[in-house]
Amino acid sequence: MDTQHAVADTAPLEANADGVESRRDGANKITLGPGDYLEGKLTYNGHVSVQGQGQAQGEFRITGNFEVGNGATVKALIEGSNVTIKGDVEGMLTARDKLTLGKSAKLNGDVTVKRLQIEDGASFNGHVHMGSVEQSSGS
Amino acid sequence: MTENETSVVMLGPRDRLIGELYIEGNLRVSGTLEGQIEATGDVDVTEAATVKATVAGREVNVSGQVNGAVTASKKLVIGRSGSIVGDVRVPRLIMQDGASLSGNVSMGPKVAAEFAQAAAADASAPVEVAAATQSATDGETAQEKPKPKKR
Repeated sequence: MDTQHAVADTAPLEANADGVESRRDGANKITLGPGDYLEGKLTYNGHVSVQGQGQAQGEFRITGNFEVGNGATVKALIEGSNVTIKGDVEGMLTARDKLTLGKSAKLNGDVTVKRLQIEDGASFNGHVHMGSVEQSSGS
Repeated sequence: MTENETSVVMLGPRDRLIGELYIEGNLRVSGTLEGQIEATGDVDVTEAATVKATVAGREVNVSGQVNGAVTASKKLVIGRSGSIVGDVRVPRLIMQDGASLSGNVSMGPKVAAEFAQAAAADASAPVEVAAATQSATDGETAQEKPKPKKR
């Protein structure tokens, strides 16, 4: 269903195509924008994205990717496949696949990850536990 | 050696050092190292290296395996083939995809301030040494200092 994006550029099939992600291909997505606030416990089959000045607090266990944009603040227990952080995050974090800290990221908390990438400028305080770490074989 | 006041220690793939090393200069390890190392300059741990030691340096690059605490007063770069098991204390940390790290990470402005204080304390004590290293690294220190708020 990747072609939908390309098609939508030239001939928008749905009026709300740009605001809401397609829910028919199974890729559900919640996006919190500036001024949005979410507090509580969320178990979700899809992606979560906190953008702008958005805020989230609580416990998030999601099957998809978790994204914290620049300027966003999250205080939570986070569990997701790919976790990308460019804002402020405080709490325990688990990335089943990969955790990426962007240059504007601030993370305080313990992380359990399979892969970890940290860009210059990012700030991180906490314990790192790497699960199934791929060791490059040979010398 | 005549141009640079700082010395460089290089350990090849078949070299082995067990013990304690303090060096005013840079260190490049491709062999085996066990114990404790401290360099005033940069420390480079290449892909072939096996280090079981606490490592301290200005700028530390890890592409091999390090087992022990790592401290860098400027920054730490863990390359995609690099692996660190131990606690990390640095003002700046860059970790490439594929790199591995297990341990506690402390970083940010607080750590940077601590290193700045330690450097200031060091600089005031040994006059001659400080002057020598200063001239050698002057160009870089001018850039790397994050302009502390002096009022």
